[in-house]
Amino acid sequence: MKISADPVRDYLAAVEREASVLPADRRQELLADLAEHIEVARAERPDVAVGDVLMELGDPRTIAQTALAESGGGAAAWGAAGEPARRGKVHPLVPLLMITLSLPVAVLFSDAPAFQLLAFLLRVTGAVLLCTSVHWTAVRKTTGVLLAAVLPSAAIVTWNLSAGAGVGDAPAVLPNLVAFALMAGTSVWLWRARRV
Amino acid sequence: MEPGDSTKQARAAAQLRKGVLEYCVLALMRDRPRYGVELLQALEDSGALATSQGTVYPLLSRLRRDDLVTTTWQESTSGPPRRYYALTESGRAALEEFTRVWPGFRDAVDTFLTTPHPAHPSTGDPA
Repeated sequence: MKISADPVRDYLAAVEREASVLPADRRQELLADLAEHIEVARAERPDVAVGDVLMELGDPRTIAQTALAESGGGAAAWGAAGEPARRGKVHPLVPLLMITLSLPVAVLFSDAPAFQLLAFLLRVTGAVLLCTSVHWTAVRKTTGVLLAAVLPSAAIVTWNLSAGAGVGDAPAVLPNLVAFALMAGTSVWLWRARRV
Repeated sequence: MEPGDSTKQARAAAQLRKGVLEYCVLALMRDRPRYGVELLQALEDSGALATSQGTVYPLLSRLRRDDLVTTTWQESTSGPPRRYYALTESGRAALEEFTRVWPGFRDAVDTFLTTPHPAHPSTGDPA
């Protein structure tokens, strides 16, 4: 580490670094305010060490974070400020289509294990994407996953294990249609209830 | 792991401060314009409202942008010129509004904190 000859410049540089996400004019204003403060404080209290003045000003990161919050009207404005969210940015149609289409995939290719696996993966991935999405409230996500994925899956498994097993394809049409209607209906409801 | 008691207290104080700090800053300018170091000194002296000084400047910047305060430069007999912050019409109105709602707010909180709350009335003892 280089020993600094100018702690004030180092301090302001640290604030500038931490405030790099601020718009340039806000950042310059903040730096000017702080520089002014340091100058006035030192003139008024010449016996106080400059290090103490800087310490009273506080941690550059905390100041930068406060400036960020104030510049957008609080943490809620993070999204509006153009900061990309790290997750849940998938289009709301994606999980809904994955869940709904998993059933026709499973039914139409019921003889092919690869497609059964694909259908299973579609449904699970769809449910995970639905749960991590920013487009619905937690209650709606839970309801959606229960109605569109868990309930139909449980019904189909139950059907396969009991009545439907060994009877042939024809009787399975009705429960499959019911399950599909449930998934599609829930998806339509979720689509309409999404947050834009 | 649970944070220590002092951390919890600090967090509660910080949450409270966040809500009221700007009105206290406006109140400091009610009778006369003040410059930055002076405002910070007053907050510091108050004890409970003392905060990392640098975080007040972003707040002052917002008050200026929202047209609640204006600033003017004034020469000083000692050292550099000072930037004085003064209330605007809307700043004064915001302060008056806060002054009006604060006692009710404070009393309501006090009531919750001090009044014993009995169990649900229907489960009380028959007289």
